[in-house]
Amino acid sequence: MLKVENLHVSVEDREILKGVDLSIGAGEFHVIMGPNGSGKSTLALTIAGHPKYTITEGRILFGGEEITHLAPDERAKRGVLLAFQVPPDVEGVKIIDFLQQVLIELKGMGPVEAYDLIVKKAEDLWFKEEDLHRYVNVGFSGGERKRLELLQAILVEPKLLILDEPDSGVDVDSLSIISRKIEELNKRGTAILLITHYGRILEHLDKDSLRVHVMKDGRIIKTGSGNLVERIEREGFSDIFEEVGA
Amino acid sequence: MTETITISDAKAIIKNQIEELAKRNKEPNWMTRIRYKALEAFEKAPHNDPIISEEELLHFIAKPEIEGLPENIESLDDLPPEMKALLDRLGISEVEQKYIAGLAVQTDTGVIYNEFLKEWAKKGLIVLPTEEAVIRYPDLVKEHFLRLFHVDESKLTAYHTAVWNGGIFLYVKEGLKVPFPLHLFFLIQESALAQAPHIIIIAEKNSEFHLIEGCTAPILVKHSLHLDMTEAYFSEGSKGQLTVLQNWPEYVHTRPMTRAKIGNGARFINTTVGLGTGKSNVANPKYWVEEDGYVELNGILLGQKDWFVDLGGEMYLQGKGAAGINASKAVIMDNSTVITRGIIKAKAPKTKGHISCDALLLSDKATMETYPGLVSRVDDAELSHEAAIGKIREEELFYLMSRGLDEEKATQLIVKGFLEPMLKDIPMEFLVEIRKIIELAVSGGM
Repeated sequence: MLKVENLHVSVEDREILKGVDLSIGAGEFHVIMGPNGSGKSTLALTIAGHPKYTITEGRILFGGEEITHLAPDERAKRGVLLAFQVPPDVEGVKIIDFLQQVLIELKGMGPVEAYDLIVKKAEDLWFKEEDLHRYVNVGFSGGERKRLELLQAILVEPKLLILDEPDSGVDVDSLSIISRKIEELNKRGTAILLITHYGRILEHLDKDSLRVHVMKDGRIIKTGSGNLVERIEREGFSDIFEEVGA
Repeated sequence: MTETITISDAKAIIKNQIEELAKRNKEPNWMTRIRYKALEAFEKAPHNDPIISEEELLHFIAKPEIEGLPENIESLDDLPPEMKALLDRLGISEVEQKYIAGLAVQTDTGVIYNEFLKEWAKKGLIVLPTEEAVIRYPDLVKEHFLRLFHVDESKLTAYHTAVWNGGIFLYVKEGLKVPFPLHLFFLIQESALAQAPHIIIIAEKNSEFHLIEGCTAPILVKHSLHLDMTEAYFSEGSKGQLTVLQNWPEYVHTRPMTRAKIGNGARFINTTVGLGTGKSNVANPKYWVEEDGYVELNGILLGQKDWFVDLGGEMYLQGKGAAGINASKAVIMDNSTVITRGIIKAKAPKTKGHISCDALLLSDKATMETYPGLVSRVDDAELSHEAAIGKIREEELFYLMSRGLDEEKATQLIVKGFLEPMLKDIPMEFLVEIRKIIELAVSGGM
């Protein structure tokens, strides 16, 4: 479903991705791990179409169609959703108004139908109806931000959900609900590309069903099963880097 | 401008207008005398408008109405087609459309409001066209007419005073609390000589009201210069809100002159929403605040096309514990220029003042300038200011677009959100229209 081919990406003339290949089939669960600065977030943002990241070589295909140069909203309409590592504040825009508009745009829902669905799903992620009248992310804690990202994913039910460190800066309780919701989405058919530093968020998942990629210096240097996560947790990255000569 | 209009030409024209107004209004002599005094002052009074030259002003006086508009608008079908199309797109009701076209002044809405106001008149609420108040409440008007201005301050004050016509007289009796906003429709005069409405607001002790003037949709006006004057008096403990909604055609210069006295413990919230593509708007409202009094000036501006806006605001905190806030938010597009220059002067102990100014620039050719002024004559005043001028943040736009909103819709949402916190006191029916106007402006459809 997603095919990233020989992707080279630069920001302000500095090359960050140096030839990434990645293939994700429908409903699969992929994990990307790697030290800071290895290019994980850049890969996520480039797939979602952030204008700051210039693709100098290679291409991105989604559902067989090239989306390398499509605007971010066009990618969203095709089924790609990125849950941000640090979603920005949107001053003056109420969550409910924003989510209603998203559902109208992406799902063709009517405003009333959208409203009811949002309130219902929000409850599962501990947002009360009055919370939805707050401005998007303004004054939110780390956990609230991540839960709001997850709420959007649950409402949209994308074909591919990219999660950029959904477990960073999150309290223990939020982490457990986030991890459960990711699993639920995956079971309902959404393919997942999850970027993380820790294995904790993957605890409940069937390790054999995971595909784990290790990134270093703008490249994927190793791909394996869920066992790779435990090994990284135990030994750190250096052994793997040595093993592959990276 | 082909012919030259001299100052004596202008004076002769003003003199004729005074005579016509005195006759038409059957006004008492004392009012006509005020007009003549203003005419005398006109010649020597200084003229210091940043946009309209003295020569231009004389031309406006000689020829106040612009050409090319339909002579007689008898039904909505007589409106210029672009305007009719815009009103339809905004989804504005027929009653309001008629008002906008100047048709409803004496018809539909006048009647509705008269019925309603009769009930409240018994309780001590007086709402009248100012001309009528001059005749029916001469003592009240005399006591408050032109007490906060000097006729010779400027040529514009003198000209306004000489030819003022239209406007509202609002009187709220001691202790009377009007529980709903009064939206008054009869500001625009059908066959005015000059567009110079005079508004007098008197809030007696512990009274409360919210007055909404104007309209969110563009108004078809025939005059290229709009000179309104507002004098507001708040007695001890009264609470008043004045919300001014403006959406001017692009040929109109507006020079609103607003001043208010805020008594002990009184509160005045003055909100101006400028949505239009007028030519220029220059205003420097002044407020004198007594002990524990409070004043808030909120400016919301949507600068489009070549609109030039210079929004001042002077607050004199002259009683102990007086407080003032001057807050503005501007979205500036196209070639528009917005300048804000609020001044707060603390003259008494324990006073507080704050100026804030935020601007969102949506075009490379848009300009924003801000000059906050804080003056303290005491050692325990708390005065502060903050300003932020910037464009839409890439991260915010990308975030919204990554949720499937196209660039236009994402921008609309950000712009509406930017202005939203300032619109807290605006009733819902206007908010809906204001939001639609913002959307149309952002997508270049105004």
